[in-house]
Amino acid sequence: MSERHELIKSSIDSLLLALLNEKPMYGYQIIKELDGRSQGYFRFKEGTLYPALHRLEKAGLVRGKWETLPSGQQRKYYYITEKGYATLVDKRTSWLEFLNAVNMIIQAEAGQ
Amino acid sequence: MSTIVQEYLDNVRSNLRLEPSDEQEVLSELATHIEDEIQDLKKTGLREEEAASVCIRLLGSAKTVARQIYEAHSQGTWRQALLACLPHLLFGLVFLLNWWRGIVPVLVMLVMVLSTTVYGWWHRRSSWLFPWLGYSLLPVVAAGLSLLYLPRGFAWLAVLIYLPLALWLLYRVVSQTIKKDWVYISLMLLPMPVIISWFLTTEWREGFTVATIERFYYFGPWIGGSFLALAFGVVSFVRIRKRWLKVAVLFMAGVIAVSLIAFYARGRLEFVQLLLLFLFLASIFLIPALLETGARSGRWGKIFEHRPMV
Repeated sequence: MSERHELIKSSIDSLLLALLNEKPMYGYQIIKELDGRSQGYFRFKEGTLYPALHRLEKAGLVRGKWETLPSGQQRKYYYITEKGYATLVDKRTSWLEFLNAVNMIIQAEAGQ
Repeated sequence: MSTIVQEYLDNVRSNLRLEPSDEQEVLSELATHIEDEIQDLKKTGLREEEAASVCIRLLGSAKTVARQIYEAHSQGTWRQALLACLPHLLFGLVFLLNWWRGIVPVLVMLVMVLSTTVYGWWHRRSSWLFPWLGYSLLPVVAAGLSLLYLPRGFAWLAVLIYLPLALWLLYRVVSQTIKKDWVYISLMLLPMPVIISWFLTTEWREGFTVATIERFYYFGPWIGGSFLALAFGVVSFVRIRKRWLKVAVLFMAGVIAVSLIAFYARGRLEFVQLLLLFLFLASIFLIPALLETGARSGRWGKIFEHRPMV
């Protein structure tokens, strides 16, 4: 498995929670958002999104709800829950601390 | 819906092994994803079939998707784990505390097992039901074993009445269970090799005498221990996410229980009997898996019909 896949796999929960914190979305919409906003970096086998969403739903971090679009089609929208938001805050703090620590080392090395 | 998409969804469905309502929801969600993506791909100039083909490629292997979704759903709660292991725990306690000698505790157990099984059978048939279902088949096994003590010349009773009835009942239960998942048949039949092993250690050829009861009394803690091993295996089965690990832990619980019996029976089990018991244990895993494979491929026709795609 490539390094990029490993990184995506380890951060998929945080990415999904961050996106759903902005607005409720359905699966395909999430794929498009991830792809568009990361300029293609977060491109992965799309089917693997659903196990991640279902895992988060089982853990009570998101809540799925079928809704009807104006076109009459039904889509399952995912909403972040309070527990999900608290997890996102924790994950964001850990991520920023990690990033800060990595930057202190990498940037110091680049500056030498 | 194009053939390639239908095949993909069929493939996901046959590997999902979830509750029917969850299964339908997963398939609907994937179908809407495919629908949206095909529409977008068609806007880029692709034809319907080409767009479907690209979309399926982007989704990835149906088996992998199904396996990962199964793992997201497969972990039962601690409450379900407790409920599933409860019949093993109760049977373990019956022997550890020597309750088996009193008619009241045995009757209470029987009523509890049968009523829980009936309730579970008519309400969703969740995974916790199957150990209870296994114990509710005990009266059938006990009736079969008691036929061994019939006077000579009464074998026709077994052949004409007992065997057809017992086989019909087993067929009904298995054919309903296999539609869900073959591993539940193994979960259901897991106590059988253990019960038969303990029966064989009682020197059953002499008939039920005071000595038999004494042997049960002597073996009580070990009989209890073997059921506790099953209980531990069932708790792990419910809590583990990965399917292969679920099967492995259940099989190991059976191996540990039968090995405990072989160790503490101190030579009362002959080598051939022990070998047959382990083969029986293996068969309660292999036969259901083969039956399910046959049912899915349509080899068994309508005998074990698999649920069609809705």
